Amino acid sequence: MSTLKHKGKGPQALTANELREGYSVWLTQDMTWSRDFKDALITEDQDQIDAMQAQGAKDDKANLVVGVYFIDIDAKSGQPARYRETFRMNGPSWDTAADVIAKDPTAKQSATAKKD
Amino acid sequence: MYRYDEFDTQVVKERVDQFRTQVERRLDGRLSENQFKPLRLMNGLYLQLHAYMLRVAVPYGTMNSDQMRKLAHIADKYDRGYGHITTRQNMQFNWPELTDVPDILEELAEVEMHGFQTSGNCIRNVTSDPYAGATADEIEDPRPTAELLRQWSTLHPEFAFLPRKFKIAVTGSKTDRALIRAHDIGIEIVKNDKGDIGYHILVGGGLGRTPILGQTLREFLPRIELLPYLEATLRVYNRYGRRDNKYKARIKILVQETGIDEFREQVAQEYKQLKPLDITVSQEEIERITAYFSNPDFDETAGDDETFRKELLGNRAFSLWYENNAAPHKQDGYVIANISLKPQQKAPGDITSEQMRIVADLADDFSFSQLRTTHQQNIILPHVKKSDLPALFKRLQDAGLAADNIGLITDIICCPGMDFCALATARSIPVSQAISKRFEDPERQRIIGEMSIKISGCINACGHHHVGNIGILGLEKAGVEFYQVKLGGDSSENAAIGTVTGPGFSQDELVDGIERMVDFYIEKRKAGERFVDAVNRLGVPAFKEVLYV
Repeated sequence: MSTLKHKGKGPQALTANELREGYSVWLTQDMTWSRDFKDALITEDQDQIDAMQAQGAKDDKANLVVGVYFIDIDAKSGQPARYRETFRMNGPSWDTAADVIAKDPTAKQSATAKKD
Repeated sequence: MYRYDEFDTQVVKERVDQFRTQVERRLDGRLSENQFKPLRLMNGLYLQLHAYMLRVAVPYGTMNSDQMRKLAHIADKYDRGYGHITTRQNMQFNWPELTDVPDILEELAEVEMHGFQTSGNCIRNVTSDPYAGATADEIEDPRPTAELLRQWSTLHPEFAFLPRKFKIAVTGSKTDRALIRAHDIGIEIVKNDKGDIGYHILVGGGLGRTPILGQTLREFLPRIELLPYLEATLRVYNRYGRRDNKYKARIKILVQETGIDEFREQVAQEYKQLKPLDITVSQEEIERITAYFSNPDFDETAGDDETFRKELLGNRAFSLWYENNAAPHKQDGYVIANISLKPQQKAPGDITSEQMRIVADLADDFSFSQLRTTHQQNIILPHVKKSDLPALFKRLQDAGLAADNIGLITDIICCPGMDFCALATARSIPVSQAISKRFEDPERQRIIGEMSIKISGCINACGHHHVGNIGILGLEKAGVEFYQVKLGGDSSENAAIGTVTGPGFSQDELVDGIERMVDFYIEKRKAGERFVDAVNRLGVPAFKEVLYV
């Protein structure tokens, strides 16, 4: 499943989904995975990219993440270049869970906490 | 309602046990993702844009109140407190974790539910008329036939790896509420000149990137031949359907390339070779299944209740809701009550766990514990006594479920789109919200009258945009969403594929353009003429002129 092959141009980030929980994650500077794109390691340095690729392959094999792939990052904005990836970064623009939580904040804290 | 027999119970339980060990093996690496993916998909578990998504089968859109409460419980315990009704009458959860899914499936099995055949290249969950067994206009209740097909197709060893997915819909009425002409096989229960009941079989319909309406495969198929004939049809498809190109792998392409007459002959030849006809279902078995769908214990004395009539005259909100959301029932004194899941500024088809429990209670109190889901992403209480309607309406209002827009411009079918779906190219939920905001005035909706808008966030057409009176397809170019418009589609028994109008629009331009077309329609329509009829009479170019100003 992994498409772990660096084909992009310019700044790159490495993304995947957590195997257990399924949430989108990005590889960080310290070679761990974060659910927050703000923590993503973004680089054009080929040595770092090679290290990211090796880490992605290792964590895929270790069953931590699934579907590892590089994404192009817009050099000016520092945001994902592809529209689809901006959605993975931001999460849905509408989630009925927000309604659920608004009505019963205590009962549903765990639901949003998953994404934090 | 059909109840599982020992075989069903055992199969579902075994599948849960199997999947639990499969997840364990995936987590510890004994199964790779490539090995695991088909196994999770067989249980309706996808990996979507942000998280896993679990699709739970609702066979022919029928469930009871206990099942709905279980779905509410699952939404709370394992997800984010809500579910989503799909255009195949199923229920999706957008945020389950892989480690929880075996427990979810085990809980579903307790109420005779599962995720079988909600994914993969198999015969998918059979859909049907949500008014089945309640409407006065049906030749026969389609649920026993749908159940027969469920039993035949569930884990069918020969059809687990078809060239592509395969969708079947059944209706027992001339009024098509199941979109049978847009299915791989559409089945219409019919009566011949002799008064025998049988099946009109359509084949090769489908939406997606190549929308095609089904063609008649058999005008009248005797009831007894149904399963052998479908078995033969599926064998022909399995043998000749293309596996080299997934975009040309559906049966609709095979039928187009082969020609309907040649395809029919191939099926006939295959049918002859079915020896013995060991899957022919006996009349006795048909009667056994049918007995599960016998009428509930209707109150034979129910009529036009005095309280109901007073409320109709004295409560404007109630009368408006009744006018749009209640449909005629075969039993005097009863109606079919539609519960709209299209309130303003929400996501079409979404229902919170709290609402699920309320709906389950309403089913217990007013509809013999029975519920239906619809491909229009709404919910139905199939058997409600008129005298109970005022009380039902009050409780729907309290739950935020009293939107009175069934069949109107804001009763929009909408896929999850880019907000959730890994295949999507653009968002669809915000578009539906913008349209429903623009047309929020209930009076204006009524002036416009019957009309369907259907939105898909990609070319796969889960939002059925090809058959919307106005169909909207979301696309993206260079990071900008835009929306292509189709006009004149129809999902009824007069099914039609809409015509693409031209270049796409931004969301704002789209909503303005729709409003101009609606205003044009109101200006030009004849008395009683629906939007789609006006498009057919005046022609798409006339509407294009006001769409593109």
